[in-house]
Amino acid sequence: MTKKFVGQPIIRNEDPRLLTGQALFVDDVHIPGMLHAAFLRSDYAHAYLKSIDISAALERPGVVAIYTAERMGDDWAPGPPLVSPPATVEDVVFNSRTQVPLVKDKIRHVGEPLAVVVAETRCIAEDAAEDIMVEVEPLDAVVDLEQALESDSVLIHDDLESNLAAQLVQNKGDYQAARLQADLVIKKRFTIDRGAAAAMENRAVVASWDVKSQHLTVWDTTQAPIPIRNGLAARYNLAEHQVRVIAPFLGGGFGPKMMMFYPEELLIPWLSIKLGKPIKWIEDRRENFVATTQERVQIHEAEIALTSDGRILGLSDTFLHDSGAYDPYGLTIPLNTQSHLLGTYDIANFSSEIKAVFTNKVLSTPVRGAGRPQGVYVIERLMDIAARELGMDPVEIRKLNFIPPDAFPYEQNYIDQAFAPLIFDSGNYLPALEKAAQMIGYESFIQEEGPRLRAEGRHVGIGIVAFPETTGVGPYEGARVMVEPSGKISVATGVGSQGQGHFTSFAQIVADQVGVDVRDVNMVTGDTAEFHWGTGTFASRGAVVAANAINAAAFSVRKKILEHASKHFDAPEEELEIENGQVRVADVPRMSISLGELAELANPLRGAVEPGTEPGLEATAYFGPKYGATAFGVHALILEVDVETMMVDIKKYVVVEDCGTILNPLILEGQIHGGVSMGIGNAYYEQLIYDENGQLLNASLADYLIPSATEIPRIEVSHQQTPSPLNPLGSKGAGEAGAIPVPALFAQALENALDVYNIEITETPLSPNKLYELLKHKEEQL
Amino acid sequence: MKLDGEYTFDGPREQVWEIVRDPDVLVTALPGAQSMEQVGENEYEGEMNLRIGPVAGVFSGKLVVSNEIPPESCTLTVEGKGKQGFVNGTGHVNLEDLGDDKTLMKYDGDMQVGGKLASVGQRLIDTASKSIIRQGLDTLNNALVARVAAHSTGGQVAYSAPSETEFAASVAKDMAGEAFSSSRVRWIIIAAVIIIIVLLYFLISGNAV
Repeated sequence: MTKKFVGQPIIRNEDPRLLTGQALFVDDVHIPGMLHAAFLRSDYAHAYLKSIDISAALERPGVVAIYTAERMGDDWAPGPPLVSPPATVEDVVFNSRTQVPLVKDKIRHVGEPLAVVVAETRCIAEDAAEDIMVEVEPLDAVVDLEQALESDSVLIHDDLESNLAAQLVQNKGDYQAARLQADLVIKKRFTIDRGAAAAMENRAVVASWDVKSQHLTVWDTTQAPIPIRNGLAARYNLAEHQVRVIAPFLGGGFGPKMMMFYPEELLIPWLSIKLGKPIKWIEDRRENFVATTQERVQIHEAEIALTSDGRILGLSDTFLHDSGAYDPYGLTIPLNTQSHLLGTYDIANFSSEIKAVFTNKVLSTPVRGAGRPQGVYVIERLMDIAARELGMDPVEIRKLNFIPPDAFPYEQNYIDQAFAPLIFDSGNYLPALEKAAQMIGYESFIQEEGPRLRAEGRHVGIGIVAFPETTGVGPYEGARVMVEPSGKISVATGVGSQGQGHFTSFAQIVADQVGVDVRDVNMVTGDTAEFHWGTGTFASRGAVVAANAINAAAFSVRKKILEHASKHFDAPEEELEIENGQVRVADVPRMSISLGELAELANPLRGAVEPGTEPGLEATAYFGPKYGATAFGVHALILEVDVETMMVDIKKYVVVEDCGTILNPLILEGQIHGGVSMGIGNAYYEQLIYDENGQLLNASLADYLIPSATEIPRIEVSHQQTPSPLNPLGSKGAGEAGAIPVPALFAQALENALDVYNIEITETPLSPNKLYELLKHKEEQL
Repeated sequence: MKLDGEYTFDGPREQVWEIVRDPDVLVTALPGAQSMEQVGENEYEGEMNLRIGPVAGVFSGKLVVSNEIPPESCTLTVEGKGKQGFVNGTGHVNLEDLGDDKTLMKYDGDMQVGGKLASVGQRLIDTASKSIIRQGLDTLNNALVARVAAHSTGGQVAYSAPSETEFAASVAKDMAGEAFSSSRVRWIIIAAVIIIIVLLYFLISGNAV
């Protein structure tokens, strides 16, 4: 195969459709006779549900049906657990409590659905939802993680002894012994708060049950249509082929749209079957704040042990993780945090304990970064604090402790989020750090520019941090590649697309394998009628798992093309070449056939074929990696703080990203830019504020600040390629990379910019307000 | 949310107490209050129109007066709920005789707000509730002064409570004043206040939306 397209900055195949309004989103689905649903949600964070009176609501003209938990009868059942507890770790505590379709007896977070109204229009449905009278017996809410674990705390799940959702300890080496040998032991507490994924498109579901064909079609803003199809079929006693789930174009996923089996995702199909009508539900922005999953709250008590020359001997970390009201997503996030607590460093002794806690908040499930930013925040902050204590340069202490390139594959000797041994497959950290330092002008800033600006009374600081990103986990994905009689190539894969450029980067792989133009490859993603094996788009795995499955299927089609052409021309395969959609015998220009003609020959309408012949030029293949591929990178920035307003101006931002073989640098840079933007939000703007009663106080985009173009700097991206040995393409994921190190980077740069105040940052997100308070607190101490 | 403050009434303590415990007067002091009915010895029920920022709606509520020590102090417990959320609160009110026909009211309380009122109206709720309280107390004081005057002249009580629109306008003015305190942007305040008043007038009188 010649690499004509893979690795090139190909402009995206999907953009003409997206930019001219010809791409289908769930809200674009209109079916004659379609009804609309609205949900009545709880205003209370914690309460017993006493009664629901729907009589007035039912009388409103245009209302078709109203359901409560009670009225669902035997069809009411909690949602399925989405991830099982880790069986491979000893003494693990895991209390599985999954969310319910509608509250039956107890309300556990603001926004939990109490009733669903189906009406002729959305307006009527919303008005009718407001007609419903609800009686509750309010309970004290549990919001703070530490208070939740106190013995006198109110219980969120009455049948449990405490609000502890899970507990798990992992050790490698002997931290206590390492600690005794240390010259310096630093102990710190780090607190990390919640943010929203805030995808541009909210969640949406349209379900249509066709009575005569006994078939259910569901359009769903899911990142994982196949598990949703399988789950819906199982729940509603249908054969899998009776259910088709389509995840069309999505306006962003970022994690909360994974295979969640949200209450709405279960109820809209159920209502459609029950009422025999197509039904649409589109989440509004306020619902998104109180009913779509969120992430990040953790409290870490961390300790690092070092020698006087800066070598890390060991790390110990006990942390509390906020599960929210239910924990269907198991321990994925805290295990991911644990997997990143050692960063890119070679640390022999490690002891870590996770305590996951139930709180009266929206459930916590992965949001772009998925536990990784927290782990990276803790280790990178400790590196900075250690460097300061030891009088070392932050860059030098990192260089000294990096896992050396000859140590890969590097076995961490504890388990990851897939409950498999955590192994970093490949890496080469030092050149990435040196490249980033050179790009940001680290030396000249430290030596000249920084001191000069400081002398002018300006508060300009520099930051540079490194991070790993575990990506591309199994189990597997699959794809089917077919040559159409037109000569164009059709490709179907099970993963859904939420803006990652799959229609282009996957097409590039196929185009190279079968020798066509990248514009002649038509991708179908996320439609279970087209491909129904696989799991979905999450955990930065599309470019690893799905891409390699597509590569394998395209390779098989290439083999078929060559076999058929060899017979057709009576020429050996080695003498054939495929280019521009033509197969020809090298050096014999007249012996050439188009792929379309060859595809027709491979699917004869008359005559006999040899036994074992498969029709057409089509192949299906699967790929499952042995374990995940670990990408890495270094981010550096220079920022200036205005100490009057505490607003931050990012002067320069550079990224060195290594995610193995690059499929499309343009798309990769887009992913990095988006990730960094999200990271900047996480670092300095976005924070969900819950009061002590579990009320979310900033549930609007006027109060929850998402960085806009004015806050996002130009981001310079440089690439390094250390291919993964675990897959034929050598690719690693990059979907979450951009967001991971930014809070840690901001903290370092802010401390540097404000070094005259000597502040120490141990919390994220920050904001102008919080920075002001930190400085004020410091001034009061002086 | 904590609420506390003090207010000086221009009248003797006994008369302040009378006014505070008179539901007919009290109802005029609550902006948007549509009715207040006595349902028990110290229990009242009523409905109130409330607008905080983008959140507006009818709230039905219950007020219970307890721990009464006339004319010194009492505890007020409020439970209100509507389509836009709920408000629950408890407050303590204390009246101190300052002599010279002046009475100092001290109040402090705790308020729980939920639903859309909390999640969307939050950043305005603090200013709005302080303003609503101050306006309410001003109204009570005006009623008191009118009563005191009527008492001394033996004439009619010459007092009419502000309309809901007037109330909303005052709250809007307070909120705008808090948002822009610099004199450089005084013109913005004036413009904003006018716009808000006009908007509120239309919204409340139902001519818009």
